Amino acid sequence: MKRAMDWDKEKLRKKILLLFLGLLFVFAAASAVTTGAVPIGWQEVLAVIFERLPGCSPPVEISGVHREILIQMRLPRVLLAAAVGASLAVAGATFQGLFRNPMADPYVIGVSSGAALGAVFAMMTKSTFSMAGFGAVPLFAFAGGLSAILIVYYMARVGRVVPVMTLLLAGIAISAFLSALVSLLTYFAGEQLHQVVFWMMGGFSGASWLKVKVMIPYALVGYLSIQLFARELNAMLLGEETARHLGVETEKVKKFLLVGASLLVAAAVATSGVIGFIGLIVPHFIRLVAGPDHRFLLPASAFLGAGLLIGTDTLARTVMAPAELPVGIITAMVGAPLFIYLLKKRKKLRYFHSSE
Amino acid sequence: MSLNVTVHNLKMQYNAHPVLDGLEFDLQRGELLALLGANGAGKSTLLRCISRVLEPTGGSVCLDGRDISNLTALEIARQMAVVPQEGGVDFEFTVQDIVLMGRFPHIRRFQKEGEREQDIALSAMEMTGVAHLAQRPVTTLSGGEKQRVIIARAICQQPKLLLLDEPTASLDIGYQYELLELAVRLNREKGITIIAAIHDLNLASQFFDRFILLSEGKVLAAGRAEEVITAENIKKSYGVPAVIFRHPLHGHLQVSIPKQQHGTGINKKGPAVHVIGGGSEALPVLDALRERGCKLSVGPVTAQDSGYQYASFYRIPLVEVPPFSPVSDEIYEAHLRMIREAVLVVVPPIPFGEGNLRNLQAVEQASREGIPVFILEEETSRERDYTGGQATAVISRLKKKGAFVTTDTDTMIAYLYGQDKYSPKEAETGGGNKG
Repeated sequence: MKRAMDWDKEKLRKKILLLFLGLLFVFAAASAVTTGAVPIGWQEVLAVIFERLPGCSPPVEISGVHREILIQMRLPRVLLAAAVGASLAVAGATFQGLFRNPMADPYVIGVSSGAALGAVFAMMTKSTFSMAGFGAVPLFAFAGGLSAILIVYYMARVGRVVPVMTLLLAGIAISAFLSALVSLLTYFAGEQLHQVVFWMMGGFSGASWLKVKVMIPYALVGYLSIQLFARELNAMLLGEETARHLGVETEKVKKFLLVGASLLVAAAVATSGVIGFIGLIVPHFIRLVAGPDHRFLLPASAFLGAGLLIGTDTLARTVMAPAELPVGIITAMVGAPLFIYLLKKRKKLRYFHSSE
Repeated sequence: MSLNVTVHNLKMQYNAHPVLDGLEFDLQRGELLALLGANGAGKSTLLRCISRVLEPTGGSVCLDGRDISNLTALEIARQMAVVPQEGGVDFEFTVQDIVLMGRFPHIRRFQKEGEREQDIALSAMEMTGVAHLAQRPVTTLSGGEKQRVIIARAICQQPKLLLLDEPTASLDIGYQYELLELAVRLNREKGITIIAAIHDLNLASQFFDRFILLSEGKVLAAGRAEEVITAENIKKSYGVPAVIFRHPLHGHLQVSIPKQQHGTGINKKGPAVHVIGGGSEALPVLDALRERGCKLSVGPVTAQDSGYQYASFYRIPLVEVPPFSPVSDEIYEAHLRMIREAVLVVVPPIPFGEGNLRNLQAVEQASREGIPVFILEEETSRERDYTGGQATAVISRLKKKGAFVTTDTDTMIAYLYGQDKYSPKEAETGGGNKG
């Protein structure tokens, strides 16, 4: 049975690819914690981890300063970058699939502009509001992002259904409107201008364990609620009507996917600002090498998004050390050429196929 | 593996405009139903109500007596598969991925598609002839191949009811037949009830058993082809006059719509032309002359002759002969009288036998009386002469006396309307010249 063999080969290939992406992520995380203004050996990293595990003795002694740098600065930063990278990549894959539009990214239906409006408002009013250890900026950003998507959802609703095309268009319109408000506020920002611009570019310089502790549950809940519907999302790529014919309760699935993806994006933006490009290219990257099946695309995007954002963040804080570049600049500068290269290479492959 | 469908008083409105207006019909298990009707008659809307993509504004659809509005999408998908009009897939799923999606309603959320699923998908792909494409991305396939992949997915869904919305619309003629043969096979071998919206009435009549003709959201006619595909129904639903006849190869009803530019041949201002009938070769000649507004007459033809049908449709005067009978003196005279009223008599490249030799003799008589004769020849008359040379002899005599000879109707029309650039002389193929 030749077919069955092809079948198994394909499955094996995907497993290997997933394993490779997992290793890539681990490697990125490991190199990120050891690199920086103060180089720290990997034995020391292991030592910090082993210290916390019962019944294990650290292989080497570790200095107090290094321990502080690792635990208070690098580990939360790497974990936050991983969670944000994975969240953005998964949200991007979800929106691209849901809207059947390769141009969709995590911010396409207004979460980022809503969050930005919230954040800028908090900065301008110098609000001292705080909750559970968070200042006004992340709280307002989170609330702004979720409010934006709620407005978009209700505006796009026609009777009991929410057509995805209307959702996308309503998202773009609301997004443009909110962006205009953000620009207006920025125009009058005055002394807060630098803070506002820097926040909007996004980055992990403010990483803390508190942010990690909040980000990770959102990332997990959001991711799982999307992964649960991976097969439905596959069917929806064939069009909503076809998905219904296959037995997908499309309206219900859309709600789950929107809630999941919005949580991912709102949490990511609230903790780290608007980091572009990861959510757009990572899913495409995976699709180019392994096809559009979401059962594979989602976990693979999560690993690659996490690894890529850890890597670019490490670059962002080391290329001009001790100064830091906003990570969004690096993601676009590294990601775009890589993506174009793959696109070109793929084109040749396609040509080869069709001329058979 | 089959299912009956009951549609009761189904109503659907878009912005207060009724698309389905109290639709009512019953479909028994294992029936093969063609849904006919003009654009906008409600065919697609009906199919979408049956598949519950649309919620009707009134009435009900029942599968085996269960109202589908009480069923979940999964319960419906386990019984019903749909091949939609446009199956555009922009993402690079492989053929196999797409076909396996047909298993969606049958497997649980985290269940992997096992060997059983793969076998079902493979046999579906084999059935539609796409198994060899299994690993190819669908984006690289042709329209016909894509359509067969979508049908394989529907088969993989193992439905009891299959809805096809214009399945042949984007296919070439070869694929159209292949596809409908496949539909018939699924119906016969697996007993799947099939409803197909279809525009091509001739294909429909060839492949389907039962027909429903929709018009303005209502059932205009339902039943066998003979009850549904009638000239009257087609006029009512499509607004065009049609000729219904039986196909010479398979005997199924066929519909043909004549060109309408000039209406009927009578009451026209053009010259009076008589055409010798008695074979399908006369039809293009008649049609060309009618389009130019000639006042036509035909004869002699039997009631079974295609020329007879043509003449009756356009109400062109004709002389009729009983089938399989020689031309009697009476008919000969009637024919000659009719020829005399014309300014030109045309002899199309029809075959001649003992039965219609007298028609040629009538032409010869008319020629003697000074009526110009036009002989159209695609092949020499000898090859279609079944009179032992008598017909050829008459035609030779006609040519000698100055009959125009040409191979195409354009030259003839040019002559009639006096356009010099198509001088009949230049078109002569030898033998004859203008006397």
